[in-house]
Amino acid sequence: MSANADTKKKFRSKSRKERTTRILIYIFLTLLCLIWLIPFFYLVFQAFRGESRSMVTYVFPKEWSLENFRILFKETNFLNWYFNTLIVALFNAVLQTVIVLSVAYALSRMRFKGRKLLMNLMLILGMFPGFLSMIATYFILKLIGLTSENAIPGLILVYAASSGMGYYIAKGFFDTIPKSLDEAARIDGATRSRVFFRIIMPMSKPIIIYTIMMAFIAPWGDFMYASLITFGHEEAYNVAVGLYKWLDKEHINSYFTVFCAGGLFVSVPVTALFMALQRYYVEGVTGGAVKG
Amino acid sequence: MKQMAELDYLGLPPFKRRLHDIGRFFVSLPGRLLDLLKKIPLGLKKVLFGIGGFFANIGRIFKEGDLKTRVSFVIMGFGQFFRRQIGRGIIFLLMEAVFIYYMAGFGLHYLADMTTLGTEAVTKTVNKYGLEVVAYKDNSLKILLYGVLTIFIIVGFIWTWVINIKQNALAQKLIAEGIKPKSFKHDIKSLGDEQYYKTLLSVPLLGIVIFTVIPIFFMILIAFTNYDYSHLPPEKLFGWVEFENFRTMLATDISGSSKFAFTFREILIWTMIWALVATFSNYFLGMFIAICINKKGIKFKKVFRTVLVMTIAVPQFVSLLLVSKMFADEGIVNSLLQKLSVITEKIGFLSTPELAKIMVLVINLWVGIPYLMLITTGVLMNIPADLYESAKIDGASGIKQFTKITLPYMLFVTGPYLLTSFTANINNFNVIYLLTGGAPKTMAYEGGAGQTDLLITWLYTLTMQNNDYKMAAVIGILVFLVVAVISLIVYNLSPSMKNEEDFQ
Amino acid sequence: MAEVSLTNVKKQYDNGFVAVHDFNLEIKNEEFIVLVGPSGCGKSTTLRMIAGLEDITDGEIAIDGTVVNDMEPKDRDIAMVFQNYALYPHMSVYENIAFGLRLRKVPNKEIHQKVLEAAEILGITELLGRKPKQLSGGQRQRVAIGRAIVRIPKVFLMDEPLSNLDAKLRNQMRAEIILLRQKIRTTFVYVTHDQTEAMTLGDRIVIMKDGYVMQVGTPQELFNHPANLFVAGFIGTPQMNFFDAVLKKSGEGYKAAVGDYEVNVPKYICDELDKLEQVPENVQLGVRPENLIIDPLGEKGIRASIKVTEMMGSELHIHAEYWDGKPIILKVQIADLTDEEQNRLISKESVAFTFRERTINLFRNDDGRNLAVPGAVPVPKTEKFVPEEKSKKNKKDNKKK
Repeated sequence: MSANADTKKKFRSKSRKERTTRILIYIFLTLLCLIWLIPFFYLVFQAFRGESRSMVTYVFPKEWSLENFRILFKETNFLNWYFNTLIVALFNAVLQTVIVLSVAYALSRMRFKGRKLLMNLMLILGMFPGFLSMIATYFILKLIGLTSENAIPGLILVYAASSGMGYYIAKGFFDTIPKSLDEAARIDGATRSRVFFRIIMPMSKPIIIYTIMMAFIAPWGDFMYASLITFGHEEAYNVAVGLYKWLDKEHINSYFTVFCAGGLFVSVPVTALFMALQRYYVEGVTGGAVKG
Repeated sequence: MKQMAELDYLGLPPFKRRLHDIGRFFVSLPGRLLDLLKKIPLGLKKVLFGIGGFFANIGRIFKEGDLKTRVSFVIMGFGQFFRRQIGRGIIFLLMEAVFIYYMAGFGLHYLADMTTLGTEAVTKTVNKYGLEVVAYKDNSLKILLYGVLTIFIIVGFIWTWVINIKQNALAQKLIAEGIKPKSFKHDIKSLGDEQYYKTLLSVPLLGIVIFTVIPIFFMILIAFTNYDYSHLPPEKLFGWVEFENFRTMLATDISGSSKFAFTFREILIWTMIWALVATFSNYFLGMFIAICINKKGIKFKKVFRTVLVMTIAVPQFVSLLLVSKMFADEGIVNSLLQKLSVITEKIGFLSTPELAKIMVLVINLWVGIPYLMLITTGVLMNIPADLYESAKIDGASGIKQFTKITLPYMLFVTGPYLLTSFTANINNFNVIYLLTGGAPKTMAYEGGAGQTDLLITWLYTLTMQNNDYKMAAVIGILVFLVVAVISLIVYNLSPSMKNEEDFQ
Repeated sequence: MAEVSLTNVKKQYDNGFVAVHDFNLEIKNEEFIVLVGPSGCGKSTTLRMIAGLEDITDGEIAIDGTVVNDMEPKDRDIAMVFQNYALYPHMSVYENIAFGLRLRKVPNKEIHQKVLEAAEILGITELLGRKPKQLSGGQRQRVAIGRAIVRIPKVFLMDEPLSNLDAKLRNQMRAEIILLRQKIRTTFVYVTHDQTEAMTLGDRIVIMKDGYVMQVGTPQELFNHPANLFVAGFIGTPQMNFFDAVLKKSGEGYKAAVGDYEVNVPKYICDELDKLEQVPENVQLGVRPENLIIDPLGEKGIRASIKVTEMMGSELHIHAEYWDGKPIILKVQIADLTDEEQNRLISKESVAFTFRERTINLFRNDDGRNLAVPGAVPVPKTEKFVPEEKSKKNKKDNKKK
């Protein structure tokens, strides 16, 4: 009898212990989420602040207004930069997806002489810091006249041209599709190109969406390449390069809140798109283990 | 050390087994490194034999070739024409014509200039009004760029020439055996089938060659010139200086140690510390958070995950620039802390050297944890549940389960990922550049470098602000070497790269 | 509807591994050929070479007299059923079956008719609208077969099509394949590792080991006259029993002695032995479990101690051990025994048995060839394969030692 009560107590204490750990975990995770969100709240408050366009010593605006957005659209080149980035992102989404999927398919499904060598070479090329090649790329682009005022096609070309080396995730996905599907289709009478379009592509929706998404989002955050290629030509800036300038010493006092408005205006659609397609991102990154 | 018999080894208590493992690892280290080094001459030998075999093969084809084949050595496509492969013939002939036209009109000239990179930058003449006219003549940059292009075009041409010859030999052999060589139509068709990879890869590879390989080759050459702010074309020339820049960068003896060498050493050390700490702190904290979120009985899993993932979506230039302003001397964090009277003096979060280093590492957690959380969640979900069930039945506690199942599994599966993220962190431009821009700057450093600068951001500063291209190129090459050596060693030594099947 | 001939076919992989050595076979029109052997014996590789999915290193494969070595699979007019079925997951069952016809630009009307016909034969008409993942294993199997038969190919290839099914379904599908074969008169090449499937389905069976063909023949030939020890052990369950025996000349014929027990060697074997230059003295004598006759009194013949008895319902399997430790299996039909005899056997500690003389086979001790089968192939010695690069290294290491 007493032994029975003992075990009961034991069980209860165990469940109590579990409950406390659970509560601790909840507290921890909630705190964590808050820390992660603070900068974004700060961004929103600053973007809608009506008084003083410089940095201030308090968080909540005294006066809410859309003034910053008015300045952003009317008095600056922001819309220009925005459309530049949008165009680059759209083109990049198409070109990079085509290139990445082509390379991934060829390397995953076909066997040919030099395949291993090619993969090793790409691995080695990837070890060079990207910026190193950018300087020479700049000169090559300059040679064909695709810098400064023509930086947009130049940027599209550069992003797309080197994208072939980022085939790993797509190849990993293709590798999981059984080879016998290709073989069955080939026996059914399909050429390799038909296998690609009629069998593999329809099955690869998650990875296609992932690739398009990454290719579309990347140009919005690119600072390094864009600042070099658009060098000295403000009209051709992308949002990152344009907004960055507003935070240097000369501009920050008159542009800080405008920067926040611009940042918000860029982040919201990109983040919304990302969240909408989050599932594909999570599946892509985790190799399909987590269904988002 | 003699390897222990397997059964003896298995009979050891666990901690002794670990000790034994570690001991064996270090004992075998030199041997394995030696093996690695041995592979290099072997590889070279293979390459040399390959080249030898290649020439022997070409020679044999010439010797055994009929007239059509032999003429094709000079006039490409000749053999194809007369073997009824007219489509191929035209393409080869056209390529040869374009190549000759290019070399004669353009390429040879630049190739010759490559040796000096130009002799006269500007010419001054007096025109008929008695005014001095300045005209640009040799532009070292253009000479080098076109020279490199020409070298690649020549390599490409030799390649097509070899294909041309091999095709001739094959066609000759087939005809001798009474088989009709493949028609041009068949060639085109096979590009959608057996040779579809050529169709798929040609454009991407061309892009990589033009916008990655040629630029890298070009920049490697720049490292051997004196191209900097005082040698800027078109007003000035630059020329070859051999290993001078490397000597400046790496000089180690006390007397000759340049400021550059000192800066490089300091920044290299910080880059390594940064990469190591950033990679592992993100990894373990990300894993910890993933385990918390995925713990049985925790609700709102998706909410927590989504909030964290959102930070991946927001463009880094927005979030990081904002955070850097929040922690600036005049930033909101200092203001609030002062208001709350926690501090009286402003804290230089990003302006005092040591604190700035810690801050970038901490803020990098904010950037990196969501990503790691996702990846580790993926791996966690792939651990077969029956492993835990059998461990529970065996009486393993929660901690035991973690150290005996979760952690080893995780390390095995994510081993390669750790390596890539380590090398990615060496080249983590965004976080440093957007947070501090390398600041706080110091007079002790050369080339505009600051206390938090990584090699990659220093490289950026050197090119964009100092126009010191030669040193930037040297740094680029050194970064490559560091990354390559680390990757090579890790790939060759780490058991997780080899014994993948253990956990599958 | 076609003959297939394989002449000196060899397959060597890039790493140096030889999967198939010198394979020769003439497959007749409308014949059902089964390739069987343990895993890694090269049977699937051979099938894939016929399909065109693997390059042929050496030799020649011809379908209907045309050499197809360099022909793409799609041009060979073959169909194949895969082990994992390889159904296109994004297409309905109907489209899965129609896919091959669509690629060949068959008019829509004809496609419809043919798909319905194939579905009818396999009894999957009501599944046509579904996606593969909504089907059970057996149904998927049918769809995979439907996809193959809809085109009425020259050669029908099947790569272990039943191995992913459970035992009951497997038996059912096996029967259906036999029926199917009666409906579709075409040439079949069927790969399996299961000797029962091979025995029940094949007109002729090709049995392989380590890339070598061990024997080609009808099921009866393989069962009654296995060409070597490997075939003898592989075909038939429970396995054939082997005894160390001594051959002795005895008048016109021969006697084989196992210990004290002697049997007369059948006439046809003696005839073959007489053709030999030298008759080996020590041989392996093989007898199938059902051909060991138990002496109820436990006196006559060879004695062995009983280890385990297995009651299988209609028959009793007795696992016994010969004095030298060699395992022996005996199979007794229950119907032949009274209850009392059964009980005695089950409880007994030892058993004595004799051979059914006309069923014995004699094998060479050295290379395992059957002495009575002309042209028998020796059993290859299994060597552990080491890829080329490593084997060089090993040689070096050996030198050091």
